[in-house]
Amino acid sequence: MRAHPVRLAGVAAVAVVVLAPLGLVLYQSLLNAPFFSPAARASLAAYRYVLADSDFHGAFLTSVIIAFGMVGIAMPLGGLLAFLVVRTDLPGRRWIEPLLLVPIFLSPVVLAFGYVVAVGPVGFFSLWVKALVGTVPWNLYSVGGLILIAGLSHVPHVYLYTASALKSLNPELEEAARTAGAGVWRVALTVSLPLVAPALVFSGVLVFFLGFELFGLPLVLGDPAGILVLTTYLYKLTNLLGTPSYHLMAVVAVAIIAVTLPLVYLQRHLLRYANRYITVGGKGLAARPLPLGGYRWPALILVLVWLAVTVVVPLSGVALRSVVATWGEGVHLTEVLTLHHFRELMEYPNLVRGIVNTLLIGTVGGGLAVAVYAGIALVSHRWQGRGAVLLDYLVMTPRALPGLIAGLAFLWIFLFYKPLAPLRSTLFSLWLAYTVVWVAYGLRLISSALYQVGPELEEAARVAGAGQARVYRDVTLPLVRFGLLGSWLLIFMIFCREYSTGVYLLGPNTEVIGSLIVSLWGTGALDLIAALSVINVLLIGAGLAVALRLGVRLHA
Amino acid sequence: MTRTGWTIAIGVLVGLLPGLALAQVPEGYPGSYKEIVAAAQKEGKLVVYSTTDSASAEPLLKDFKTLYPFLQVEYNDLNSTELYNRFISEAAAGAGSGDLLWSSAMDLQMKLVADGYSQAYESAELRHLPAWSVSDKKAYGTTLEPLVIVYNKRLLPADAVPQSHADLARLLKEKVQLFKGKAAMYDAEKSGVGFLLITQDFVNWPQFWDLAAAFGKSGAKYYTSAGAMMEKVASGEHLLAYNIFGSYAMLRMKKDPNIGLVSPKDYTLGMSRIAFIPKAARHPNSAKLFLDYMLSKRGQNLMANQSLLHAVRSDVEGQATAGALHKELGDKLKPIPVSAKLLEYLDPARRLEVLNKWKQAARSQ
Repeated sequence: MRAHPVRLAGVAAVAVVVLAPLGLVLYQSLLNAPFFSPAARASLAAYRYVLADSDFHGAFLTSVIIAFGMVGIAMPLGGLLAFLVVRTDLPGRRWIEPLLLVPIFLSPVVLAFGYVVAVGPVGFFSLWVKALVGTVPWNLYSVGGLILIAGLSHVPHVYLYTASALKSLNPELEEAARTAGAGVWRVALTVSLPLVAPALVFSGVLVFFLGFELFGLPLVLGDPAGILVLTTYLYKLTNLLGTPSYHLMAVVAVAIIAVTLPLVYLQRHLLRYANRYITVGGKGLAARPLPLGGYRWPALILVLVWLAVTVVVPLSGVALRSVVATWGEGVHLTEVLTLHHFRELMEYPNLVRGIVNTLLIGTVGGGLAVAVYAGIALVSHRWQGRGAVLLDYLVMTPRALPGLIAGLAFLWIFLFYKPLAPLRSTLFSLWLAYTVVWVAYGLRLISSALYQVGPELEEAARVAGAGQARVYRDVTLPLVRFGLLGSWLLIFMIFCREYSTGVYLLGPNTEVIGSLIVSLWGTGALDLIAALSVINVLLIGAGLAVALRLGVRLHA
Repeated sequence: MTRTGWTIAIGVLVGLLPGLALAQVPEGYPGSYKEIVAAAQKEGKLVVYSTTDSASAEPLLKDFKTLYPFLQVEYNDLNSTELYNRFISEAAAGAGSGDLLWSSAMDLQMKLVADGYSQAYESAELRHLPAWSVSDKKAYGTTLEPLVIVYNKRLLPADAVPQSHADLARLLKEKVQLFKGKAAMYDAEKSGVGFLLITQDFVNWPQFWDLAAAFGKSGAKYYTSAGAMMEKVASGEHLLAYNIFGSYAMLRMKKDPNIGLVSPKDYTLGMSRIAFIPKAARHPNSAKLFLDYMLSKRGQNLMANQSLLHAVRSDVEGQATAGALHKELGDKLKPIPVSAKLLEYLDPARRLEVLNKWKQAARSQ
């Protein structure tokens, strides 16, 4: 069967939007000066410099180690958490789920800073432990610490995809294993998790990509120990020669993309036999939670420990910093309590507009992005053609582009591609940039919802004489509406946090919370940053609570 | 003229009147200044690209708007690399950009001036400005901010508070246990301003490399942001941080009594936020008004006493002023001149040479 023109057009549209920034970066890497400079000539000098630089080798290796470490922590833990929350009778699983999501919407710089205040060398928790045992038995500023924190804070990504897949798993399969005498762990390891392998592998690859793109965490936690990763190496390249060396930075970005392409291949290869909609089911069967038996409480303790380390520790650090004038060694916290930071923050220029813009880009922008992702997902729905393969590669690469480069690339596109120029300083440009870099994330959320619609339902509509568009409109989309709403909620959180991609597109009327944080960071007003982050968490938390209350489910 | 025509004409005149009434030429300015004011009024708008955070700039902008209420000011608060990237990209694309660039990255600003992006403008305040702060009427230093040592008053014993650069080097070497891993300074490789400051250090004080090595040997930590350094000095994770903008340190001291600062007695560097008007500015006359306002006694007074940005003019009273610094330091105050000399270390070979030297010192065990 030949691909439908609409499908081809869809792939072509995605290709243009994704390849424009990537192509620009590739082009820049092959020059010896900014591409817009009259002095720019084709040259491989940038490649020669970067590839021979020992700092690059070191940073590359560290990034690889961190990315693998993150996958090693996030994949098993995320899979396990998903199984526990979705498929078992774990106590309190209903209220655990929203808490699991906190690391997704907290800005990484703030998260890292929260850890510094709580468990840094003179953090309040460290000092408490030191008073007990005489020393602080951990070092936050180390590759190990970085891997642990990055790994744990990316558990939610794996959790989300796996939980979504587990929910749509036909419970009869697990029941059959139970009847044959398998224990709950045996069911998990031999039935449930293998059946959701596509989701697990996809989220593993995504986490690996995010590991390469990590910036805020290594900047705050790696700098004091001189740990260099690819993104902080990029940061160094902006200053190394005094003026930013775009060609050198572009080479690093190309190197990162070169690493990600084989990964997408690997992902496709691993899943080549996994018929993607094998888990279609539901069929009105209510899944009965698997009894954990004696494991109930140990499992709960494991979940609580993860929550404590990943959510409670950094959040308590941020919250504490927002209400004290100073902190650290030799300070009695009760003597320095103050609400001054919140009062001062209220007077900060453009604060309200920043918050409003953030919420706008999260809600309206997130909703539009979901609509776009749904369009792309429908275009490639149940399509096995070559275009679908191309699409897999296309959507994955933008997220591997570090924010520092992605931000510049989008600025250049809006500057030098004249039809877009009038939109440069509007929230639209910001929205487009966010939508492009998170396309893999959102698309997967939606396509996994789509695959849960039994093909027989679509077939039935088609037999009754409906065209493809009508099938989608009257059958597929209504059936996945909860999946779409859940995706919207998740994209909302991601968009509220995203910042670096839009850094060059922001103007005086389009500031977002992220840009306010960076501006405060510049003057060292970490007290105000803490106060702003507390407000941010409360706002998003409230939004999340309202959405869940209204019946939005996190996965279909 | 038709009736509607009259109505419109009268409406326009009435609309302009309040603006005209308020937009007077500041005292002491030449009479021809009213042409600039009139032209600015036609432009109606001013776009500022700045590294000074909005909160610090707020009092200045508010007061400026009371002088010229017809101007709509768009204040973009960026970091210095962003400012540079954005400006050169926009200039190359021929797109709208800042009408006035105001940045603390002195070398990047002078690079833009040297590359021909700046237009010459003789500020009406020129004769009140020190000679070192103006380059060829194309770049104006607007502040004089001391580079200080910030320390933790709670934890650093009085006899270990360094009073000069030489003192700092000596203390780092003598009090090994106390300072082990407890000193902080800019990472000259990652931070443009950090690099600029060390080049000024060794120009003013040849023994600087001895200090850099003392930092290295004490296991000092290197940062990209002054904010992170000050926070960690406040918490006691570090005892002191070196080459911190005095303006940020003073803002911090107001809120946190644990922070102390020292202007080194052997020499104190003074940096200046440089402002210039790009050639391609779309609202050049508005930019001239703002530049003159920033350099005026009125503007400088606000900068010194409300924003704590340290006035460059010597006729302004207050704590954060050049006058106060001169009184405290005399000829030990070394302003970094606003001049093409700042470009010296933008030459890749020379820059890498200094960086390698610094790396060796900073990593020496």
